[in-house]
Amino acid sequence: MTEIAAFSRRRFLQAAAFAGTAGFAGGFPGAAFAIDGRKLVVRFNRDLDSLDPGYYVGGHPVNDVNWCCMPSLAHYSAWSGKGTWMPSPFTESVVLPDATHIDFTLKQGLMWSNGYGELTTEDVRYSYDRMAQSEWKGDYQAYDRVDIKDRYSGTIVLNQPFAPFMNATLASGTGIILCQAAVEAVGGRFTNDVPATCGPYVLEWQQGQFARLTRNPEWTGEKTFFDEIECRLVTEDETAALAFEAGELDCAQVSSNALARYVKELPPNSALTTAGALQYMWLGMNTENPKLQDIRVRQAIQRAVDQSAIIEGAYSGTVEPSYGIVSPGLVGKRSSAGYSFDPDAARALIQEAGAEGLSLTLRTLNNQERVLSATIIQANLADIGLNVTVMPLDAGPFWELGQESKGDTWKDLELWLMRFGSGPDPFEPTQWFVRDQVGIWNWERWSSDEFEDLYQRGIAEVDPAERERIYTRMQEIMEETGAYVWLTHEPEVFIHRADLNARFAPSGEMQLAYFESN
Amino acid sequence: MLIYMAKRIGLSALIIVLAIFTLFAMLNAIPGDPVSIALGPRATPEIQAAYAAKMHLDKPIATRFFIFFGNVLSGDLGTDVFSNRSVSLTLLEQLPHTIALAVASIAWAALLGIPIGCLSAVRPNSWLDRVTGVISIGTITVPSFLVSIWAILAFAIHLDLFPVIGAGDEGDLLDQAHHLVLPAFAVGLGWVGYLARMVRASMLEVMGENYIRSAKAFGLRDRTVVYRYALKVAILPTITLIGVGFGVLLSGTVFAEIIFARPGIGKIIYDMVLSRNFPVVQGAVLVTVAMYVFVTLIADLAVSFLDPRVRRSL
Repeated sequence: MTEIAAFSRRRFLQAAAFAGTAGFAGGFPGAAFAIDGRKLVVRFNRDLDSLDPGYYVGGHPVNDVNWCCMPSLAHYSAWSGKGTWMPSPFTESVVLPDATHIDFTLKQGLMWSNGYGELTTEDVRYSYDRMAQSEWKGDYQAYDRVDIKDRYSGTIVLNQPFAPFMNATLASGTGIILCQAAVEAVGGRFTNDVPATCGPYVLEWQQGQFARLTRNPEWTGEKTFFDEIECRLVTEDETAALAFEAGELDCAQVSSNALARYVKELPPNSALTTAGALQYMWLGMNTENPKLQDIRVRQAIQRAVDQSAIIEGAYSGTVEPSYGIVSPGLVGKRSSAGYSFDPDAARALIQEAGAEGLSLTLRTLNNQERVLSATIIQANLADIGLNVTVMPLDAGPFWELGQESKGDTWKDLELWLMRFGSGPDPFEPTQWFVRDQVGIWNWERWSSDEFEDLYQRGIAEVDPAERERIYTRMQEIMEETGAYVWLTHEPEVFIHRADLNARFAPSGEMQLAYFESN
Repeated sequence: MLIYMAKRIGLSALIIVLAIFTLFAMLNAIPGDPVSIALGPRATPEIQAAYAAKMHLDKPIATRFFIFFGNVLSGDLGTDVFSNRSVSLTLLEQLPHTIALAVASIAWAALLGIPIGCLSAVRPNSWLDRVTGVISIGTITVPSFLVSIWAILAFAIHLDLFPVIGAGDEGDLLDQAHHLVLPAFAVGLGWVGYLARMVRASMLEVMGENYIRSAKAFGLRDRTVVYRYALKVAILPTITLIGVGFGVLLSGTVFAEIIFARPGIGKIIYDMVLSRNFPVVQGAVLVTVAMYVFVTLIADLAVSFLDPRVRRSL
């Protein structure tokens, strides 16, 4: 008998039974999820990928964390329907003497972690010079240099007037300031192991689980309310809603499904806050496709789609109607479209164009709201005599549809449902529809000299009234092509404890350092 | 026994090599440009090019396969393209959570399912057999995600007994066990039925054997006959089923990991497929396959140890 066999079969079974039982031994503690007074638990719907502003993928939740642990010159002020910036707590002042200069003075005595000394203007210059060479250099196209006056004061010089610079660059995630000595010490690049931080909180990150922000003992700036902020990764919207209702989260972004439920009945001691609605969704049409080259067909489709039915049917009334690409709260937001839902007029246009019985394919991402919207559009267009086939697609093939570099699909593209996100300046949404973007993100494949001219003027213009005129006209030009049916602006909505004063950036990120509890 | 073990281990190694090849081919067959999906509409051509280079997407597919295969052989599962973290490190952090969930699920299912199966088999066609049969089939047919949602609503929201999300505080085993209850309940419930039906069928077959009839003729108590003689033989296919079940759960816990927001291998595969973070997906799937092969190997070896006739069957 071998040595293995000396371990008898009976003993093997006994050992296995014991091991199985042992796994269940031990009692469980009583439930204790109550959030402590100075501890906040919020939801992250995505894990951190890279905190380096020059090389990150962008947006929430990276900015949520960076705004707590890293300095910047500007922050977004409390969202009140307008996307505006304010000097950050890291500065004594930020002043714009003219359209190409930004004077700033840093607070003294703000120390970098890991012994890297004080935050200075050298760090500001290093950070912005680095950003201008980084993967996010597009945000810094107007940046020229930082002139240093002394250790704490300097001037940012732009190479041309660039109205969005404060809102879309310095106050955004790409406006983060890094510690020159620390970043150079790690070879100029990092991901989530930030070599030196400077802010009210320090970060502890566990991949796939949480990001925990605890007080920075070296922070000498304004004291924040919460001692600890735990950001738990909850990717599923419904789970987040259930976890909030079970008292395990103090604040969570909610889906339109959950929002519709909460609008009817809020859980006890809860409140809803809209952070912004910078998403814009439309039905796009390929103006070069033979079936849609006749503008009367496109105009008929504009008049045939029932926007309100989509808002109610696909989004349970939780989204705002859209009348263009500029979102609520921004300069240039339109209050109505140049067309309205009118099936009779649509039928007349179709008849005039001789397009009765035309068959079209509508491509969309395969998520619930988008497919429901597409189905409603299908019914609307059937009502005016057009046969529409809905083709739901995974993100992979969908995002390639109109891109010439990805193959020939763009030639067959007819109708599609598209949603883009934007920053808090009208320059951002308009940039995707200029002539250079035809075949990249301008899938409608039109261009206009007037639109190009207005685009350049909008970037350089700082007068709000003039910008209002410019961006309104740009959206009219888009609409006049007949290639757009404006649909919705989806809001970023958060549910949170009623006694929590939550504050958000217009782009939907949580400004956690400003959160307070009554 | 040693020859059987050697053959079985060799076969397992071959399965893993084939799995690496299949995995690579399937990942590359997923439609859509991984660069566009990962970086979204704002990415500039420079960002896209840098990302493609980092993922070796600018190289021919054959080259990419040999890079991947060579790295796996040297124990390097690659680097997360976003965070630059080692994939091995990431998986090492996630794996214990998945193993804990799989063990807890299959363990409680076995503790309940095996006795239910025995009870059914001892009194076939009795009311007890019929009731346990309905319970078993019921637990098999109810979708696990529904069980998860109901469990959350009942035990977390209404009764406030268990937490919904997370895996508990690191280093606090009781807290981790507390967080494990609902997911393990949801994942294991279906396996209660499977195991009960399997044990019942095996027991009915064994109870008709001559040696059982002899034992009864010698006047041994029913309890002794069932648990000491019949179950010992009837449990053999159940051990294989538990082994296979454990392997399935290593990747099959994904729904529970998503719904309960638990870390784990299944969830990381799901998240990383969505973001087309291929190095992590490849590494995680490979580890899952390897563990599945390892667990079924152990189950097979255990069965061959308990029943020497099996050794001749490879």
